[in-house]
This record gives sequence, structure tokens and C-alpha cells, in this order.
Amino acid sequence: MQLLLLAVLDGLAYAAQLFMVAVGLTLVFGVLKILNVAHGSLFAIGAYTASTLVGLIGTPDLSLIALALAALAVGAVAGPLIERGLLARIYDKEHVLQLLVTFALFMILEDVQKLLWGVKPLFEDAPVRLLGPIVVGDIYYTAYQLVLMPSVAAASLLILVWFLRRTLLGRTILAVTHDREAAQAIGIDARRVYLLAFTIGAGLAALGGALAAPTTSLVPGIGVQMIVLSFAVVATAGLGQIEGAAVTALLIGLGRSFAVYFAPELEVVVPYLLMVAVLLVRPEGLFGRSELRRI
Amino acid sequence: MLSLERVEVTIAGARILRGVSLVVPEGGRVALVGRNGAGKTTTFRAIMGLVPIATGSMRFSGVDLVALPAHRRTALGIGYAPEDRRLFPSFTVEENVRLPAEVLGLRGREIRDRLARVWDLLPELAELRDRRAGALSGGQGKMAALARALVTGTRLLLLDEPFQGLAPALARRYGEILARLVARERGLALLVSESNPELLAPFVDQVITIERGEIAAPRA
Repeated sequence: MQLLLLAVLDGLAYAAQLFMVAVGLTLVFGVLKILNVAHGSLFAIGAYTASTLVGLIGTPDLSLIALALAALAVGAVAGPLIERGLLARIYDKEHVLQLLVTFALFMILEDVQKLLWGVKPLFEDAPVRLLGPIVVGDIYYTAYQLVLMPSVAAASLLILVWFLRRTLLGRTILAVTHDREAAQAIGIDARRVYLLAFTIGAGLAALGGALAAPTTSLVPGIGVQMIVLSFAVVATAGLGQIEGAAVTALLIGLGRSFAVYFAPELEVVVPYLLMVAVLLVRPEGLFGRSELRRI
Repeated sequence: MLSLERVEVTIAGARILRGVSLVVPEGGRVALVGRNGAGKTTTFRAIMGLVPIATGSMRFSGVDLVALPAHRRTALGIGYAPEDRRLFPSFTVEENVRLPAEVLGLRGREIRDRLARVWDLLPELAELRDRRAGALSGGQGKMAALARALVTGTRLLLLDEPFQGLAPALARRYGEILARLVARERGLALLVSESNPELLAPFVDQVITIERGEIAAPRA
């Protein structure tokens, strides 16, 4: 029973982290129609920047603010830089080329991380210690992972959905997602929308990384696993489905966690088995209505 | 008001428009007729900046359209209803119609005034304002596309094949709406394309024929 509860708690915490990255990936794909392989690198850079900033500030009480600032900074700098400097030049190119360009960017950013932070593991858990433990049943769990991370993920989902549906900027993003040409024809600056959507997506990936940083040792390659799993979440939900990504992040997070406790040899493969099972039955994903609506 | 001079458009190596020149004067009602594939839609898309022109010039009220990004053309008072409607399916009819006004930066009363003009002209659409655009029939979608174009189209309305795919009763109704519009708004210029020129006869004062990307013969 305790194992079961532990699996659920682990699954929730992991799902929150997974969702933060996947939702940015699906937003960027929905609007720009580009599958950004380098999205995992933004997660990693967010994580490294957050750890560095928490260490630099040195005051545990300010460590949560440091995480938020790190995510904000990475999103605000890397987002526009990548979108304006690179992606804006390839919107009208073949999907294969777009994929190759973002893969090349991913490779470059992997080396940039090694250049900036080296290859030694980096661990900074001040934010986790700040919030202390929480008792669920007989299990001591970190409040950071069980309360803060899912809360931030849920808040991100609600704010994003509110922003997209209730604000003019959000509706322009949705309009471009539906039909870029029709959006331009009614006066929407699609280039500006692309920049905005990519920056939000980059910020969400960085926030996912910043939140994950205090819970794990940062080593080169952490972005790889995250982008692959995020892709599984996004594909299972249906490309461009934001609320769907929340559900499938939970599904895959819990599935992986149960595998860890009850069938450890299947841990790595479970997310992909879930994805394949869903896509065999519904190729457009669990929530995908490919031509009707994205995001 | 709107003038195109020797406009050439090339898509994937094929010359779609070959030196198209036409003029739509202020308050003028011009029909652009031609068979499918003649270049009518490309002409509209070029005017709206949705397809780049290779050579030629386009001006609207003295403004060089070629130098103006696509998204800034509606601010000149141009509204465009594409042939295939191109509504945003997850938005309601009202959200589709309201969005261009909001994007233009209009405020509460201005938006209400523009929507009132639209609902007054299209009362049957007003009843559907809370329905998702994705749930509209083809004819209702055509009406919604016209409504959306009317919001920005205060000086020039571009209607690409508005009667295409409409059942006869709906086509008649669409015709009545256009007739009412042109009678009510004398200063509004209209450029409307159609394969069948007879449908446009009641609303236009000039017919321009386009064939294989070239203007064939303007006739009064």
C-alpha cells in the first residue's frame, strides 16, 4: 500500500515537471508548426541557470524567487534570440529542414551548456530544504515536489488557458494557430505572434528546468530525456493540445512511476508504450481533432 | 482608390498573374470574372499581401500597398472575405467578427457600432453569434466571412467568389444582402469575383474579365 502511495506521489511530481516542458513544446508547435527539438535544451539551460542563481544569491529564503527569475531570464533572452535569429528564417521551408535546424541548435546548445557549466554534476537543493517535508500517510515527501511543483504546473495551465481565451493577445495566438493567412488578412501581425508564442514556450521550458533543478543533479544530457518524454506527452495528447498535454503528462508521469516501483525493467519503455498504444487507436492523439482545432 | 498596375505573381515557378492592371474607384462596384484558375483568387491575395508580387505596383488611396505588410492593410479600410471562408473554427461567430475590430485597436463604442452595422445587415447571422464557427453550414460560413470582412471593410470590400457553393435560396439571400449594402453605403467600393457574371449583374457597374492570369477585356 505504501509503495502504491509512493508511486502516486512520485508520478504526480514527475507529471508536473513533464507538463511544464510539454506544454511549451505543444504551444510552439501549435502556432509555429515547428517541432522544436531544442526545447529540451531550454529546459536544461533553465535548470543550470536556476542552480547557478540560487547558489549565487546564497540566501535560502530567496531561492524560490531565484528559480522564477532564472526561468524568466532564460525565456526572455533565449526565446527572442532563437525565434528572430533562427526560426524566422525557416518558416517557409520544408518540415525536414526545420527539424534539422532545431536539431542542430540542440547540439550547439548542449555544447554551450558544457562550455558554461562544465561536465561535473551540479546540485543545489536550497528551495527543497526551504519548504521542508510533508507527511502523506506514513510517507515523508518533500513539500517542494508534492505541493509546489504541481501547484506551479496547474497555475501555468490555468493562466495559459485564460491568457489564450480571454485576452486579445491570446486570441491572436489562437487565430494564427488556426490559420496564419486568415489571421494576417484581418490585421494580425503573425511575426509578432510567432515571437510571443515562442518566447512563452521557451519560458515554460526554462521554468520546468528551474523547478526540476533542486530535485536532481544536473549533468550534460538532462535535456535529451526531457525532450523525448515531452514529445511522447505531446504526441499522446495530440499536437497543439494544451489541456490534453496536462492529462497525458499525468498519465505518462504516473505510468513511469508505477513502472519504477512495480516493474523497474519497464521504466524507460512505459511512456512510449502508452504513446504507441494511443496512437495506434487514435493517430491524431487522445485529444487531437487535427483539422478542427489546435490549442 | 485601388489601382493595380502590371502586377505579376509567380508561384512555384508558374506565372499566375501576368501584368494585371485594374482600377476600382471610390464607391465603384467592380466584378472580376473568369473561370476557375484564371487568377481571381491570386489577385485578391496579392491585394491583401498574402502572396508576394514579382513586379508591378498596387496603390490604395495613395498608399503603396506593396510596401505595406499584409497585416496593416485592413487598417486602410479594406475587408476581405476569402472564397473558402477561412473562419477560426473554435471561435464563436461573434468572436470571429469582433476580432478584426479589436486587432485594429478600436474601443468599446467603436466596436459596438461596427458590429451593429454588421448585425443590421445580416440579422440571420446575429442569431447565430454564439455558435462556434466550426459548427456553421457552408452558407452560414459565407455570411460570417462577409460579416468579418465588413468590420474592417469600411472603404473597400473584397469578396472572392461569394456565391460559390451556395444553394440557390442562399445565393438569392446573399444577393439581397449585397444589394442592400451597396444601396446603403454609396461610398463603399466593391471588388467581387465570380465565375458566373450574371449573378453579379445587379450590384456592379463594371465587369473585368481575367483569363489565364491576364486581364482580357474591361467592359462597361
